[in-house]
Amino acid sequence: MYLRRYFCSQTAAGHRRRYERPVKQVIKSNFSETLAEIKESIFSSDFVAVSLQKTGGYSAPWQKCLPIDTEETAYLKAKRAAERFQILQFSVCPFSVKASKLIANPYNFQLFPRHEVKVGMPSYSFSCQSSSLTSMALEGFDFNACIYNGISYMSRAQETAAKVQTGSVLLNGGSLLSTSAFSVADVIFSERIKTRVKNWMNGCNNQHKTEDYLISSLRKLVERCENYGSRPSLTIDVCSERQVQLTSEALKEFVNIVLVRPPAKTGVEAIQVVLTSSEEDKNLLVKEIQDLEDEQRRLVSGFREVIDLISTSQRPVVVHNSLNDFTFVHSKFLAPLPPTTNEFASSLLSVFPHILDVNHLMKELGLFNKMNNLSSAISYLNRRFSASMDMEVSYEEVTDCVNVHGHSVMKVCQLFVNLCSILKISLEIPEGGHTQLPALLQRSSNIFCSSDVRDPYNDDVRIWTGKSRTVSLKNLVFLWGFRKGMSTQDLKDALCNSHDVFSEEFDVKMVDRACAIVVFWTPGFSKKFLGIMDSGELFSSKLENMVFEGLKAADYETYGRVCNSAMWKPDLAECLAQATDETEVFSGAKTQQEQSVICWNNDEMINLDEL
Amino acid sequence: MRNNYLVRVLTRATARTLQPVRSLCSAPTAADVELKNVTKSNFEPTLAELRRHVREADFVSIDLEMTGITSAPWREIFEFDRPDIQYLKVKDSAQKFAVLQFGVCPFRWDQHSTSFVAHPHNFYVFPRQEIAGDASSYEFLCQTSSLEFLAKYQFDFNTCINEGTSYLSRSQEEEALKCLESVHKDEVLDVSSNLRNDLDMQLVRMADILFAERMKNVVGEWRAGLLRGGSWGSESQGSLNDVNQKFQTTFFQARPALAVNGLTSRQLKLIKLVTEKHFSDLAYVHVTGESSSRLPLIVYTDSAKDRDILKGEVKACQRKAAEISIKSAIGFRHVIDLLSSERKLIVGHNCFLDLAHVYSKFIGPLPSTAEEFVSAVQTYFPSIIDTKVLLNSDDVLSHIMNKSSTALSNAFNLLCLPPVTPTGTNNGLADIPRVKVDVQVDDQRFSNWNSGAKHEAGYDAFMTGCVFSEACFRLGIDFNPHVPGLVLQHNEKLQKYTNYLYLSWANGDIIDLKTGKSGPDTLGSAIGRRRCWLAKFTFSSMILLWGLPTKLKAKDIRECFYKAFGSGSITSVHHLDETAAFVQFSRAELVSDFLELKDRLERDNNNPMSVVHPLSRILETGCVRAATYETYKEVCLSPLSEVLFTDQAERLGIKGEARLVQSSVDVDGEGDCEGGEITLPTFRELQQSSASVRTSNFQTDRIMDSLRRSAAQ
Repeated sequence: MYLRRYFCSQTAAGHRRRYERPVKQVIKSNFSETLAEIKESIFSSDFVAVSLQKTGGYSAPWQKCLPIDTEETAYLKAKRAAERFQILQFSVCPFSVKASKLIANPYNFQLFPRHEVKVGMPSYSFSCQSSSLTSMALEGFDFNACIYNGISYMSRAQETAAKVQTGSVLLNGGSLLSTSAFSVADVIFSERIKTRVKNWMNGCNNQHKTEDYLISSLRKLVERCENYGSRPSLTIDVCSERQVQLTSEALKEFVNIVLVRPPAKTGVEAIQVVLTSSEEDKNLLVKEIQDLEDEQRRLVSGFREVIDLISTSQRPVVVHNSLNDFTFVHSKFLAPLPPTTNEFASSLLSVFPHILDVNHLMKELGLFNKMNNLSSAISYLNRRFSASMDMEVSYEEVTDCVNVHGHSVMKVCQLFVNLCSILKISLEIPEGGHTQLPALLQRSSNIFCSSDVRDPYNDDVRIWTGKSRTVSLKNLVFLWGFRKGMSTQDLKDALCNSHDVFSEEFDVKMVDRACAIVVFWTPGFSKKFLGIMDSGELFSSKLENMVFEGLKAADYETYGRVCNSAMWKPDLAECLAQATDETEVFSGAKTQQEQSVICWNNDEMINLDEL
Repeated sequence: MRNNYLVRVLTRATARTLQPVRSLCSAPTAADVELKNVTKSNFEPTLAELRRHVREADFVSIDLEMTGITSAPWREIFEFDRPDIQYLKVKDSAQKFAVLQFGVCPFRWDQHSTSFVAHPHNFYVFPRQEIAGDASSYEFLCQTSSLEFLAKYQFDFNTCINEGTSYLSRSQEEEALKCLESVHKDEVLDVSSNLRNDLDMQLVRMADILFAERMKNVVGEWRAGLLRGGSWGSESQGSLNDVNQKFQTTFFQARPALAVNGLTSRQLKLIKLVTEKHFSDLAYVHVTGESSSRLPLIVYTDSAKDRDILKGEVKACQRKAAEISIKSAIGFRHVIDLLSSERKLIVGHNCFLDLAHVYSKFIGPLPSTAEEFVSAVQTYFPSIIDTKVLLNSDDVLSHIMNKSSTALSNAFNLLCLPPVTPTGTNNGLADIPRVKVDVQVDDQRFSNWNSGAKHEAGYDAFMTGCVFSEACFRLGIDFNPHVPGLVLQHNEKLQKYTNYLYLSWANGDIIDLKTGKSGPDTLGSAIGRRRCWLAKFTFSSMILLWGLPTKLKAKDIRECFYKAFGSGSITSVHHLDETAAFVQFSRAELVSDFLELKDRLERDNNNPMSVVHPLSRILETGCVRAATYETYKEVCLSPLSEVLFTDQAERLGIKGEARLVQSSVDVDGEGDCEGGEITLPTFRELQQSSASVRTSNFQTDRIMDSLRRSAAQ
């Protein structure tokens, strides 16, 4: 397959072969070797494009990121998806633009959250949507290869939490102790360690003297001498992290020893002191252990190494839908997702300082509805802006060859480069200028647009994609409990003139099958309407009939609470109903809690209670 | 008993000249067990074959492969789980995970060859969404370790996802048909309003106006041509072709029609508008063409009445097509319907979870209690035998098993395969005659086979059937029927074990499908009873702790309690997971003592007495919660599944209890709470009691809440 693709690219785009190569497929067996390769290619390019293939998107229509969502609710929706579903394929493409040419090195990693190190890590279970799996299958995705040979990983948080230490770790003389005072016990401990090591070293150095075998082995037994590889070593038992630090502090004066922490089952158990013959020998040993450590770490962190590489390179990361993709990246490779979008953004930006969203660039061009699909976006751009594109991007030839997995990342690249050239943003970054993005890009980086560009200081939402009219959240009301199968128009007709509040301009849009959102264009009417629904004082029979049939209403805040809660149901109406029920109970509980607080502070009350 | 058994075997062997059947593995050229692999491409013909096999079968064994077993570590079934909790856990598993493979293996006794003929079928199943509807039922959970396990045995995920047969449960089918019904009814009702809406559509854009005008001319011309020519002249056809290649004159239900091709939906909408506005004798309809795509047509009708008739016909046609597509989406459920309608004996190995899957995937949502579930299962499958129950409960069989594991492959090796070294060691087993089982796939019959691929559902079902037939043989059951097909189902020796299943193997509780009663194994063998030593749990004096420090071991917890309440105060500690544990107190009053003490320690946690208190080691994290067994049930009831129990409780907003609520509310709540029944106090009582109890009583709040809700309904 590789061969065939190779030939294709050679014949079809022979002269461009210098800039292109097929997407390299990476699985468990060739991961280690690829790691060095991708490291070089990331550091030698200006941008990194990524694209993810997941086991699902959203579970119900309303759980998709909608135009009615604020930044916060959009994040909560993305968060939920990222926590439930799994990444099966992660494509990375480091690329640069040199002399109006795209130079790209795409890689495609198959991932599977196999329990390599610890059961339950990186993931105990994950959700799948059969529609997502089916569409992946149609693209020729090989599930067997993925599940049998996918690369596992561990997030940074998991690695710390699991305290996985399977091999020996070098102990670097951390001098955290300088501030804390030494107690008498500490001094005694240090002195004891020092004398013991001194004696042991003397013993080792005098080994040449002919000593009775019995005595030497007895000495070894008493002094707990062992060998670390070919070098003599001594094991010191410790029982706390502090003693580890004390030991390393105390043994600083000995030049030729290396401290190693052997793998322990629980916490700290011992330190090994290894004696080296010279400075050179010491360096050799240190390097040896470090290599082992690296190998070990690679096994544990798995694919996260690639994420770490992208992060350390500080290259701008180009994605198609930043909110969705980076909630996944954050939850799988960094740490569990924080509860709010602000915390998420700051946490993410500390790892990836520049994130460029192709969707956002599309919107800069005013292309609202053309962004759903990468391929259609590319062809749309080609049709409409072919004149203004002076970039040489040629990847189609390779696309046609075979079903190349992970090709979407190339499309992200291509779309990004095309868009930049239309927007007249130069992507040619001078040598060594990686810390500074082109000014125009700087402006549009790190905007996590979910479905819309919005003013960060304004909480208004759009109701329709592609229309610029925004609505304040205050003017929105969720409606449910109307007759099943009603269309937007039916509902609007039914509401129209059913009450005074519907006499002025208003709009209706369906959120899902059984729930609609009503926009009151006249300020204050939404509140009035909710008040009427709440009090039950209905002034028209038409509305009364609908309420009798089960019509219910809730404000946007209730919707926000639904997004924040743990229980998401397929129908938004059900969730809203539950949330409104809970409000009553919740407010009841709150007042009770306040009472109880007073109770706690009142000594008399407690005494009375105990009597 | 043992002698008796031996004699019986011997007499049987001589009486029916059943030659000691050793052919199972004796031939050196034995091949792996052949399986009939079934995907959507060969499903239809296989189903027809299977109908015949099942009809002729004496029993049918089944086995399932799933995407997972437990959605969180604490959802595993523990020995201290009450039967109602066990059911909740099984229910959770069956609801969340998907079935990937379904093994069905009908066994038929062949009198001529005195052997069983098995037809192992291995169905690849995948919950692909074939009809529109609620997408959330097409989402399923995968347990990573389960997938790894399947991968270890070379499970073919590609075949499953690409070619697995999909299905529709009975309730899904009903729902879909009901939905279709209501849509149809609405359409009939809303014809007028639809018309109005369409007429309301205003022609705003210049392009729209021009297009509509042009279409009016085109359609008008075509109609005029029809009326003028009589023979629907060729000149009109010609002129139409000039105007646009997209129009074509055809016939629809003996009426001349104009087919419209390759226009956008907006353009079609405009055509519809124009047709309905300007031509009373033309009808615009969509018909389902041969290629199943919807083809728009403008049909000439003689009158308005004829037009309505035509529209009705088209509607009926569309409905028919929708119904057919629903029927065809039933897919694999036909197999379940077949097993159910034939009312054959179903044999499974430790199959309670399998049955829960069968019910939730192919029948409907699982009922909320085990009693309701089993009685519903009985209506579909009147007789079920669990080979694991059989092997553990019957004296003869458990003697043969000789305390070795009753895991399926082990039982199969022990019972159905000859010992590995038959020569020399004469342990008696080697000479025992065995039931002969032939495998038949398609029209090929294999008498000699080797073991096949383990954890292929089809092979596991086959093994289960073999174990069952061998067990029957050892029990001395006569396979030669007086009434064909019904021997095993009504055999008195088997009757004792029919319709008893392990609710869970972990604590050996058995559920009686006929009565819905569940409890410790009472069927009777010595080995079956070996589990009786397990501590009887007194659920009312158990306390659930969560938010515990993760390093705390059970023995540490026990020590802390011994120091605080005296040794012997608690009888056992059981970890749910690393953050949660159950503590069994020896006396019920210690529960409230503990809650009070915990409360006091937490309230003044700066007090030196609190710091040195033996319990402080447990309460170290500062967020340790305690609650009674009922809270555990509540947590298990939730559809949510966080990995850690503590996270789960927190997400559910369960705060634990500061005092023992039940003692203040439910005066005679001393009983062991069997079957999980709690008598709910009246609303008024609760209000009074909550007024008297000043501390924030979480449980009261919850009960009041639920009462309030039920009152609202």
